[in-house]
Amino acid sequence: MDLAVYDLKLHRGRFIATVIGVGLLFTIVLAMNGLYRGNIYEGLAVINAINPDLWVVERFRGGPFNEQSTMPEYYHYSVKAVPGVEQASPFIYYTVERRIGQESRHFSIVGYDIVSGLGGPQQIQAGRGLQQAHYEMVAHPKLGVRLGEKVPLGLHTYTLVGLTKEAVDTNGDPLVYLSLPDAQEVLYQKDNEEIRNQRTRLSRSLALQNSLSPLAADKLLPSLQPDTHIINAILVRLKPGANRAEAARHIEDWLYFSTYTTQQETQLMLKGRLAGMTKQLMLFRILLMIISVVIISLVIYTFTMEKIRSIAVMKLIGAPNRVIVRLVMEQSLLLTITAFGFALVLINQTYHLFPKTILLVPEDEIITFIVVLFGGILASILGIAQALRTQPAMALGGQ
Amino acid sequence: MEILRIEGLSKIFGSGRLEVRALEEINLSVSAGDLVALLGPSGSGKTTMLLCTSLILEPTQGKIVFDGQTIFQKNGWSGGVDIRRLRREKMGFIFQAHSLIPFLTARQNVQFPLSLVGINGDVAQRRVMELLEYMEIADRADYLPALLSGGEQQRVAIARALANNPRLILADEPTASLDTVRGKKVMELLKKIAKENQSAVIVVTHDVRMIEGFDRVFHLKDGRLNNTH
Repeated sequence: MDLAVYDLKLHRGRFIATVIGVGLLFTIVLAMNGLYRGNIYEGLAVINAINPDLWVVERFRGGPFNEQSTMPEYYHYSVKAVPGVEQASPFIYYTVERRIGQESRHFSIVGYDIVSGLGGPQQIQAGRGLQQAHYEMVAHPKLGVRLGEKVPLGLHTYTLVGLTKEAVDTNGDPLVYLSLPDAQEVLYQKDNEEIRNQRTRLSRSLALQNSLSPLAADKLLPSLQPDTHIINAILVRLKPGANRAEAARHIEDWLYFSTYTTQQETQLMLKGRLAGMTKQLMLFRILLMIISVVIISLVIYTFTMEKIRSIAVMKLIGAPNRVIVRLVMEQSLLLTITAFGFALVLINQTYHLFPKTILLVPEDEIITFIVVLFGGILASILGIAQALRTQPAMALGGQ
Repeated sequence: MEILRIEGLSKIFGSGRLEVRALEEINLSVSAGDLVALLGPSGSGKTTMLLCTSLILEPTQGKIVFDGQTIFQKNGWSGGVDIRRLRREKMGFIFQAHSLIPFLTARQNVQFPLSLVGINGDVAQRRVMELLEYMEIADRADYLPALLSGGEQQRVAIARALANNPRLILADEPTASLDTVRGKKVMELLKKIAKENQSAVIVVTHDVRMIEGFDRVFHLKDGRLNNTH
């Protein structure tokens, strides 16, 4: 005789309300799981999509994503000359906030060598990849720009020739791919007014040098302009069969750069920029699970207290403890499992509405279910203890 | 045939200056088919007597023999006796109001003690309907207790107490929440059960109007039992 089900049938309304309440809590737990996974996925997406054999960055820097790294562009020729290196491609990556249409959008720009293709998008969802050296762009659909649309960035206007969903930036914002010179120009090129001002400031400084004639100063002026041929990393593709460790050691010892494999680059991100958020989300998940178990405990305790006289009657009639324990625990598990089922349906129907990526992984759902089930058993302990303490004498009006 | 024998039973609560002698030197013997009334005012020890007889409360001293088996002696409960099993297989209980399990229908309430002894399915259903018909409440079988009147609830409670053909039925103020007419009907039912089922029935009450036709009536006063007839 399933006493738990009969009792819940009588209190159907309250049971449903509790399932919705606890289910919403579980939905947040599942959303946090997805957010945790999404945070890692987005944080590593660009690294995994590019995936060169080696990342060459400024010496003792954890760049180009976890930490800033700058180096002159021409160094990629030196890297290319290292034994075992097949391709060495300059790479630039930075985050900007610009107006796209009527809105101000936050996104990241990737500048790469379109000839080698290293660092660029590998899978184009619509349109094509970059083919011209200038004024073309490929972007993630999240940017909200249609194929063929023209987008002003800095001094020039760029045409969207392709869409790719391959990666987002480490914050989950869309990526925009430009050719290396275009990306450098968008980042470093000043507007005309600023260039004139800078030139005037330099001319005044040179005029104060007594050793320089005005003619010599004018000749010197262009070479004193800031260099815009700066990159953040060099992406290396090794020859088949080349020794990665040896090539890396050569680059570090002779060219004074730091090198990382994609796996090391991933670890840099996980232990660096992503670590704080990951720990925060983990803490939230644990707290929410504890809160859920406490709420279920209180609900089950209240359910049990309301039945305490009936439990006393059952004991007086001679019901063994297992009947009483089953009644309380079954209610707790029914509540927990139904609430989890509700949460599972809800999160699977709504995950795409969240502003950040919610990545639902079956393993996470199974582990959460096991934890929730254990929590349900734990939650029933308070009610079971109270039920087992109940004296059958209570049914007869005694203690 | 003797069902219950109580010899020199006492129950003392507390000790020293706080000592309360709830029951003193109680002797009682009840046989199959006996209908026994225990009368007494509040605080006379009726509930304590019922708790000791139901094997819920351990007496301080004395002896209890139930269905030929010694359950309690001087030293305490006899070893190897499963008291809860005894209660579910050989005793039936009828209380004051609200004794039915509220989330079970009348049918399920009667079925519950049967399920505890492993009787389920059609056999249980037949027995339940037989009892509800005997109590003239079969038409209310699928009603929850909240939808039954006080008298109907008490008839279901009696049906539940009879479910396992108990040797002893203990009724605690079974008419307390009923008016006189319904109360008398319940008492008539208990008399009928005692005679027809050959169960020993002990009814604890404070209402002398309800004990007409009882085989024996005992008065409890200050923990002492006096046989009045």
